[in-house]
Amino acid sequence: MNTVIQIENLVKRYGELIAVDHFSLEIQEGEIFGLLGPNGSGKTTTINCLLSLLAYDKGTIRIFGKEMTPVSYDIKQQIGIIMQNVAVFDELTVYENIDYFCGLYITDKARRKQCVEEAVAFVGLEEFLKFYPKKLSGGLLRRLNIACGIAHKPKLIILDEPTVAVDPQSRNKILEGIQELNRNGATIIYTSHYMEEIEQICTRIAIIDKGKKIAEGTKDELKHMIRNTETITIEVLGLTDDIRRQADALPHVYKTAYDGEHLTVCCSGGKHNLIRILDVLQKHDIGFGRVYSELPTLNDVFLEITGKELRDQEG
Amino acid sequence: MQVFKAFLQVLKHKLSTAFVYIIVFFVIAIPMTINGNKERIFEATKLAVCVFDADDTPESHALTDFIGQQHDLVTVENDRTAITDALYYEAVDYVLVIEDGYAEKLENGETDALFSSYRMHDSYGAALVQQMLDRYISTVQAYRTGGAELTDAIADAADVLTEKTEVRYAETKNTAVLSPVNASYFTYMSYILISVIFSVLSPVLLTMNRKDLRFRTACSCLRPNARTMQIFAGSSLFVLVIWALFTVTGILLGGGQISGLAWLVIPNSLLYAIICTGIAIFVAELGVRTQVINMLTQILGLGMSFLCGVFVEQSMLGEGVLAVGRFLPAYWYVRLIDMLRGAIPYDAGEAAMCLLIETGFAVVMMILSLLVHKQFVRAKTNMN
Repeated sequence: MNTVIQIENLVKRYGELIAVDHFSLEIQEGEIFGLLGPNGSGKTTTINCLLSLLAYDKGTIRIFGKEMTPVSYDIKQQIGIIMQNVAVFDELTVYENIDYFCGLYITDKARRKQCVEEAVAFVGLEEFLKFYPKKLSGGLLRRLNIACGIAHKPKLIILDEPTVAVDPQSRNKILEGIQELNRNGATIIYTSHYMEEIEQICTRIAIIDKGKKIAEGTKDELKHMIRNTETITIEVLGLTDDIRRQADALPHVYKTAYDGEHLTVCCSGGKHNLIRILDVLQKHDIGFGRVYSELPTLNDVFLEITGKELRDQEG
Repeated sequence: MQVFKAFLQVLKHKLSTAFVYIIVFFVIAIPMTINGNKERIFEATKLAVCVFDADDTPESHALTDFIGQQHDLVTVENDRTAITDALYYEAVDYVLVIEDGYAEKLENGETDALFSSYRMHDSYGAALVQQMLDRYISTVQAYRTGGAELTDAIADAADVLTEKTEVRYAETKNTAVLSPVNASYFTYMSYILISVIFSVLSPVLLTMNRKDLRFRTACSCLRPNARTMQIFAGSSLFVLVIWALFTVTGILLGGGQISGLAWLVIPNSLLYAIICTGIAIFVAELGVRTQVINMLTQILGLGMSFLCGVFVEQSMLGEGVLAVGRFLPAYWYVRLIDMLRGAIPYDAGEAAMCLLIETGFAVVMMILSLLVHKQFVRAKTNMN
């Protein structure tokens, strides 16, 4: 597999603040690579440096094996960017907007026409070609935004939080579309602070916090980096400290918590953890309600590595 | 030429503002321009005066005849309501009642309570009639004091007061090379040029410079210089069309008769259009909101027009106003037109200076726009 992106030791400072701190990364062809991190963690700054829209203090960036500079037009030709904000002209129709942005890459009229029509079909905007953006719903606007970014058939597509403030139905369609683009041969970089999206579509993930890459790997690799393999939650009333301590002492249990209604037990490896915990409750004749067993999420990974919740950081 | 095409499409959406200005300009400026062409002739004002003669004597008849020579005598029903209505609707300016005993009092040299009147309060016309009556009575009394019989005094007073004074405008040496129609039109044109160019071009440039669109364009393989050149081409095309439209209309209104030095209105107005373009680009680079642009259009358009002698001739403006006006481009634009229409003597050196100062304004505005643009790019690269 070819390396599409190679970032080495990237540093970007805003005065005293280090926005990107010695960040290194490699992305291979055909990957859907997720950049996960809370708002302000440095995701967008990294993307802007990657696109040479922002001058950086240190490091090197190579795309498709060539150094990326502001005048690397041959590289830019192969990149599509879809931003969080819908960046289209209000004064141009849906078709004119896609044609405009496609025309920034493709000058040949016949080829451009074909590309625009394919992009329109891809996002399903055939019925809205003569509509002005102000007449489109939020979901349709997002689709237009995507069409403007992919019409020129880029080999590398960068999506910077494209699902912010999008309803669940449109979000799913967008995610399916991204996977289809990937199946068609595009390498994808997907930045988000929504861990579910990253888990759903990304083949490899880097977690960023305070400008630093704190973990990288497939989602399974990331989950194996932490102790937690299972979190069991049981609705239970009147649990004494003594019983909780007994649960705490069970094999593979490394942490328990009780808030008066829910007993939360964190396990690290092992089998039949749930049965053993329920046995303790049964032995003391403690009734219980609903029982949940959850596998670790990326949020657990983030929590264990940084000591804070990913969602708490959403601005 | 994607950016150029997009520029024109955005422009198309903003043109409605220009049409409003253009229509209002043509509706107002063309009649004003044509009126401005009339030769300046003095005409005495005649008022509508109604006289009720309660005295009914030869003396009172003589007064009525005298008033009839000075003003238009009109008839109104001798009823308070009818008189009030006539005054309200300006069918009559002054209603004079010559009181019973007028001749007798005049004979005895009395001047009190000779008349009563109905008039609009604080009316300029009424004051004029009142002044005329006072002068008439004073003159009659003066002749009487000199020993004249009342009949003779009345006749002499009427003769003296009806004597016409010829009024002529002071003539200056006519150095006009621009017809009054063209002079008026091209003077007003400075207002419409700034209003149309500023109110249309700035919002279009604001759209083209929108941060998210600029970002997306910067990610593409379009070179920044190519983008700038295409926007420049779009702006130039728009400004040239607007300038040509107004200039050709102006020349046609003047009967197409422009020759010799009068052609200086062409570089003069073109330079002014370039200055307006510079101001529009500068404001757009500052990234102000559209609402602010609407406000600035009024402030710049009306402000420069009033301070620089577009609506009121520079010769009528105070030195303080002109001192401020000299710092504005419209002042030099109007001054050159004033030279061409003969309001001030034509001086080739001063005409060239006007054009040079206008060029200076254009250059300064373009440099300021570039500086703001560079500052914006630098901030974008360092501080995203």
